[in-house]
Amino acid sequence: MMRLLASLLMGLMVLGSMAMAQSGPLRIEITDGVVEPLPYAVPDFVAESTGASQLAGDLSRVIAEDLSGTGLFREIPEKAHISKITNFSSPVQFADWKAINAQALITGAVSVSGNNLEVKFRVYDVFAGQELGNGLRFKGTTDGWRRMAHKVADAVYSRITGEGGYFDSRVVFVSETGPKNDRRKRLAIMDYDGANLQYLTDSNAIVLAPRFSPTGDKVLYTSYETGFPRVFVLDVGSVRKNVLQDQEGTMSFAPRFAPDGKSVVMSITQNGNTDIFSMPINGGNPRRLTSSPAIDTAPSYSPDGKQIVFESDRSGNQQLYVMPAGGGEPKRISFGQGRYGTPVWSPRGDLIAFTKQNKGRFHIGVMRTDGSEERLLTASFLDEGPTWAPNGRVIMFTRETQGADGSAALYSVDVSGRNLKKVKVQGGASDPAWSPLQ
Amino acid sequence: MHIGHYISGVAHAGVIGWALWGGSFRDDPPPFEVSGVSVVTTEEFERALAAEVSPSTATEVEVPVAPTLSDDAPDLSSEVDDTPELQTPDSASVEEPDSQPDLSDITAPQPAEVTDSAPTLSPPGEEMAVLIPRDTTRPMVRPSDRVAPEPVAPPPPDTKIDDVLKEATKPDDTPSDNIEEPEEATAPEEAAAEIVTEAKEQVALAPKASLRPVLRPGSRPTARPQTNSGSSASSSTDAAVAAALGEEPAAPSGPPLTQGEKDSMRVAVQNCWVVDVGGQSSNVTVTVRFNLDREGKVSSAVELLSSEGGDERAVDTAFQSARRAILRCQKGGYKLPIEKYDHWREVEITFNPEKMRLK
Repeated sequence: MMRLLASLLMGLMVLGSMAMAQSGPLRIEITDGVVEPLPYAVPDFVAESTGASQLAGDLSRVIAEDLSGTGLFREIPEKAHISKITNFSSPVQFADWKAINAQALITGAVSVSGNNLEVKFRVYDVFAGQELGNGLRFKGTTDGWRRMAHKVADAVYSRITGEGGYFDSRVVFVSETGPKNDRRKRLAIMDYDGANLQYLTDSNAIVLAPRFSPTGDKVLYTSYETGFPRVFVLDVGSVRKNVLQDQEGTMSFAPRFAPDGKSVVMSITQNGNTDIFSMPINGGNPRRLTSSPAIDTAPSYSPDGKQIVFESDRSGNQQLYVMPAGGGEPKRISFGQGRYGTPVWSPRGDLIAFTKQNKGRFHIGVMRTDGSEERLLTASFLDEGPTWAPNGRVIMFTRETQGADGSAALYSVDVSGRNLKKVKVQGGASDPAWSPLQ
Repeated sequence: MHIGHYISGVAHAGVIGWALWGGSFRDDPPPFEVSGVSVVTTEEFERALAAEVSPSTATEVEVPVAPTLSDDAPDLSSEVDDTPELQTPDSASVEEPDSQPDLSDITAPQPAEVTDSAPTLSPPGEEMAVLIPRDTTRPMVRPSDRVAPEPVAPPPPDTKIDDVLKEATKPDDTPSDNIEEPEEATAPEEAAAEIVTEAKEQVALAPKASLRPVLRPGSRPTARPQTNSGSSASSSTDAAVAAALGEEPAAPSGPPLTQGEKDSMRVAVQNCWVVDVGGQSSNVTVTVRFNLDREGKVSSAVELLSSEGGDERAVDTAFQSARRAILRCQKGGYKLPIEKYDHWREVEITFNPEKMRLK
C-alpha cells in the first residue's frame, strides 16, 4: 500500500514538473509555407536632371520585367500606390506600402549629363521597416541604359533571394529561318531577355552548338563550312574566327570550354569512332580522355574543373557518365528509363541538367551529380539542349513544335519546374548558351 | 463433507503461516541499502535550491551590480539630447570602372567571311558602381519628450537602536531659557513576543520558484538580433530596467495553451511564410524569437536564435522570410486568449522547409 501511494505521489510530481516545463516561451514549428511570388513595388525612378524622365521610366520598366520574369516576384501596379516617390532622399512612408501589401520597395533616381548616365537605387524590406543593404550607384553611358537596368535588377534580386542574379547576361544561339527542309542557320547573340539581337556569322554554312567562354568574350561552335563538322573559336568583340581543330580525316564537334578558359574539351571522330579529347585553346595536339568503341560526346566540366560529365552509348543506349577531368574510368550516373543526353553541369555544382527521351516524349530534367533525385522539368514533342543561367537557377533550352511547319524556339524554366516561358526572339532559335554575368 | 473443510482449513493455515513466517526460514535477511541522510534546516534547503541554477540559461545575462545610492539627491538634468550630427561618409567604390578595351590591334571583321553583314559589336561602355552614402537628409531623430525628474528627497536616517524608546527632539525656534541639546531618536531592537523555532515554522511543501526550463537542444551560433519597426523600443527599455532592478518576469500562471490555440497561431504565420523552393534558403531551418503584447502584436525585435544548414547568405535570406511572415500576418494582433497571456508573451517559432524542399 505504501509503495502504491509512493508511486502515485511520484506520478503527481512528474505531472507537476511537466506542467512547469510548459511555462517557457510558446514554441511552434512550421513546416508548411506558401509558394507564391513576393509582391513588390518599383515606382518610376526620380528624374534628377532635365531630359532624364524618359530614361527613368524605361529603366523602372526593365527592372520590373526582370524581377517579375523570374516568377519569384509580382509587381504591384503603380496605380495602386498610395505614396509617390518624388524625391530619392525623402523618407519612405512604410505604412503606405504595407497597406498595399508591398513586401519590398525599390526606389531610385536617374540623372543624365550629356552622354553620361547615373542611376542610384535603394531596396527596402517594407514590413521590417528597414533598408536591405546599402544604396548603390551605377555610372555609364546612355547607350547602355538597359545594362544599367539589368545591373540594378541583379542587385535587387540578390538582396532579396540571397543568390546571384542573371539579368546582366547574354545568350548566344543559332538563329533559324526558312522551312524545315531548307533551314538556314547562323550564330546570333542577344541579351538574356531577347533585346539587342545581333548576328555573328552568315548563313552560308550550318552552325551548331555555340558555347561561351568563362569570361564571355569568346564563343566555340561547330560549323560545316569546310564540308565536315569543325570546331571554331570566335571572338565576340571583333567577330574574328579560327578553326580550332583541323586534322585531316577527322570530325570535331560538341566543344565546351574548361572553367579556366585555357583548354577545350570536345568530341573527335576518327576512323568511325567518337571519343572525347581535350586541347589547349591556343592550339596543340588533342589529348584523348576516353577510349571506347562507343560514341562518347557532349562533355561538360564541373565548375571546379575536376570532373567531366558526358553521354555515351557504351552500355547499349545513351546514358550519362562522370569521369575525372584528366580521363579515367567513367562512372554511370543515369539509370532511369529512356535515353539521356546533352548533360550540363550547373554553375552551382550541385545539379546536372540533361535531355531525356522516353516513350516518344522529350524532357528537360535535372539530377544530382551522383545521379540521384532525378526530376523532369518539362515535357513536349521535342525539348533539348539545356543551358544554365549564371546563377544556376534557370535553364534555357530549345523546344521544337511538331509537323512540317514546326519551328524551334527558346524557352526557359526555373529549376523548380515553375515559370516555364518562351524567350522573346525574332524568328526561330535553337541551341542556346548562356553567358556568365557581364 | 467435513473432509473438504479440513483440507481447505489446513491449506489456508499453511498459506497464512507461510506468509507470516516464511521469510524467517531464510538463512540471511534480504539485503537492503542504507543511505546516509542528514537533517537540514529549511534555510539550508532553500539556499541549496537557490544555488542550483541551470548551467544553460535561456539568455546569458550578466547580473547587474546593484547601484550604490548616495545620500545626496542625484543631480538629474533634464536637458534634451542634442540632435546627432550625421556626417556624410565618403563614397566607397565597390567596383573598379571597366577599363576601355584596347581594340587598337583588332582589325575590322573580314567581309569575305561574313557575307550577311555581321556587325561589329560595340565595346562595352565605361561603367562604375559606387556605394551611395547614407542620406544626410534623412529624417532627423525627433527629441522625445522627457519628464523632468524631481529631486528625490533623501530617505530618513535609520533609527539608532537603544534600549530606551525616545523621540527625536529639535531645537525650538521660540526663545527659551532652557536650551536643550537636540537628540537622536532611539528605539529598542525589534523582537518577537515568543521565540519561533524552525520546527514551528510551517514548511512549504512545494518549492516557491521553479527552475528555469532547460534550453532546447541545438546550437545558438550566430544570434544576430534584427530589429523591426520601432515598436520594440519601449519594451526593450522596460526589459532593461527590469533586468537592472533584478526583477524576474512573472512565472506563467493558469492553464497552458491548448493545441488548438497553438495551431491557430501556427496557421496564421504559415499563411504568410513564402518559401522559395528552388533557392538555397530552402535548405535552411531557422528558429526565431520575439515578444507579443497583450493585443497579440509583435512588441520586440524578431531575433534569430539558431539556424541549421546553408551558408550565411542563405541563413540570412531564410531569416528575412521568417521575419516577414511574422510581421506581415500579425495585422491587428494574433488571436490568442488574453487570460493565458503569460504563456504566449514570448514566442519561439521554428521554420522548417524540409517538407517543401525539392527532391
